[in-house]
Amino acid sequence: MTDEAFEIEAQALAQILDELDYFQILKVGQAASPTEIKAAYYRESRAYHPDRFSTLPASGLKDNIGRIYKRINEAYVCLREDSKRIKYLADILGGERQKKLRFVEASEQELKKEKEQEVGATPQGRKFFMAGLADMAAQRFAAAERNFKMALTYEPNNPNFKAKRDEAGKLVKTDMSVR
Amino acid sequence: MADPGETAIGIDLGTSYSCVSIIENAKPVVIPNEWGERTHASVVSFLEDGTVLVGNSAKRNIITNADNTVYSAKRLIGRFYFSDEVKKAQAVMPYKIIEGENNSVRIQIRENVFSLPEISALVLKEMKAIVENYLGHEIKKAVVTVPAYFNDNQRQATKDAGRIAGLDVLRILNEPTAAALAYGFGKDITQKIAVYDLGGGTFDISILEIGKDVFEVLSTAGDTYLGGDDFDDRIMTWLAENFLKVHGIDLRLNKYCLQMLKEASERAKIDVGRDGVAKIGVEGICQDPTGKVMDLTAQLSEAEFNKMVMDLVQRTFKVCDEALQGAKMTAQDLDAIILVGGPTRLPIIRTSVKHYFQKDPMAGIDPDEVVAMGAAIQASSLLDSKSDHYLLDVTPLTLRVGTVGGYTDKIIDKNTPIPIEKSKSYTTNRDGQDKVKIRVYQGESNKAGECELLGEFEFSGFRIGYRGEVRIEVTFEIDTNGIVNVTASDVETGQKTSCTIRLSSGLTEDMIKQAQEKNARTTLARGEAAA
Repeated sequence: MTDEAFEIEAQALAQILDELDYFQILKVGQAASPTEIKAAYYRESRAYHPDRFSTLPASGLKDNIGRIYKRINEAYVCLREDSKRIKYLADILGGERQKKLRFVEASEQELKKEKEQEVGATPQGRKFFMAGLADMAAQRFAAAERNFKMALTYEPNNPNFKAKRDEAGKLVKTDMSVR
Repeated sequence: MADPGETAIGIDLGTSYSCVSIIENAKPVVIPNEWGERTHASVVSFLEDGTVLVGNSAKRNIITNADNTVYSAKRLIGRFYFSDEVKKAQAVMPYKIIEGENNSVRIQIRENVFSLPEISALVLKEMKAIVENYLGHEIKKAVVTVPAYFNDNQRQATKDAGRIAGLDVLRILNEPTAAALAYGFGKDITQKIAVYDLGGGTFDISILEIGKDVFEVLSTAGDTYLGGDDFDDRIMTWLAENFLKVHGIDLRLNKYCLQMLKEASERAKIDVGRDGVAKIGVEGICQDPTGKVMDLTAQLSEAEFNKMVMDLVQRTFKVCDEALQGAKMTAQDLDAIILVGGPTRLPIIRTSVKHYFQKDPMAGIDPDEVVAMGAAIQASSLLDSKSDHYLLDVTPLTLRVGTVGGYTDKIIDKNTPIPIEKSKSYTTNRDGQDKVKIRVYQGESNKAGECELLGEFEFSGFRIGYRGEVRIEVTFEIDTNGIVNVTASDVETGQKTSCTIRLSSGLTEDMIKQAQEKNARTTLARGEAAA
């Protein structure tokens, strides 16, 4: 590749960096094997490692390469480890893909918060939520919806409570239409 | 071929010895000084007339000019004055270690005060002079090596030392990585290797995967408080205890006797490693209360020596376990073991390494010179845009930020490839807050007290609003030198905020500039005659 073509490519890549997921950064498929991921990392390193541009004076090109290469490392760190890769793939295939392109390991505090949100952070919220889950299991959807609504009065911002309320609400409607 | 003015040198700046190398005819060669010495004691001796000696001639002054001769500066570089290593050094070093501003460490020589980077810069100046004398032209660029397990403060201080010596430091390179580069360079091999690097003051182990043109560090682990010096200390304690038992005099109480004891111990270690036995004899080591001059004589067998240092040797393998675990490997997965550092010449190390890895270490690699040679390869490659190999190195320590109650939160894991960056956002917790303070640490504990503090950054200049309203995104970057940079910006406006480092043992730009002038003015009395 000519220097000019490379410069254009680097600039284009730097511009869309925040829209790419790690598979796209390393230019591999989502089913790539660990060997393929390593080979891709070596290939991209060969192209973008900042050492190859150390003789260049400070410039926009150098900044772009720095940004790209840091993201290549970030992608490799995530995809080379099975546990991280599985979570990451689920993240980008789920909703809000754009927000989840950069892998974030949950900190211990966040994990605790997540767990609390799942079953409720207040004793009353937890009580109604559990009752709602029991109603769901017994297919008493209207009762479940009421219990989830009660739980939400104690924890109005709990996303898990909201999701369950909506789920129960939908089931109540389909239930009625079937009848 | 780059033009001659563009020669970049590779410097192995060791705790005990330093070595310098350049590329000649596409091969790294070690440059000896005018007297044929290939390694040079990392010792700086300040003479009465203002001239300065560096190297093996300076080392001879440790006893005669003890107060004004600095050695093992690498043990102190980048440390805070309150650290244990500094306290330990104060007890045994004959030169004066004092406290500078911001908890930094300074060395006082007569009425002059030096920072640690300034001392190391004098060693670097000598290395630069050796090559300049050999080539006949000035050298401006260098790659300087550091132990892989060095933290950000130590790397930054080493880089400062290079700048003070008038060098453009192209890279701070990890010693085991440099050794691997010298080993694999130009060979078309695909191997998984371990570099076992036991130096004068530090121990490192790195696991690498090397290919035709790629050197990937999979993991690194180390102990910056373990080296050949500790082996000397064991012999020293043994000699001193015996002397105390027989003569009732503790040689360690007098700093001059202590230096002679130290020198004898180092020699005994080398002798016992080479010959299987060491005959120790120091004439006139001290005087008894009646003024009678006393000699120290002893004999050390290999078996006795091995017993003395066995626990130190075992400690290195605990670190090896950690590195293998980090690389998700077992010893059987490795194709080659490379030994680096003078102490790896000891039979106890070679046999223990062979036993642990179930493999003979590679022969034909000079453990004193291989790091400088790797540094020269990297130096030349950084000047050559067509160079076709590349190093993928990692950060050795987990980067953390302080949280409430003396705890820390992980930002970047150890063994993460560099360069890398990670951002974390913070919100203000008071109305009208105009500053955010962040303490940055490196280490493997979630307790701040068990990690190394890198500094306290204070960000200001963002919008002022109600509590929780202003969000600041702090970006932590580790560059290819393994050096940490912290920046912050206001999330909403994108406005970069200014940063002051409140707690840091580092030098300011002004201090570096002054030190550069002082270094340039200093004359090195080079040569045997000077000693």
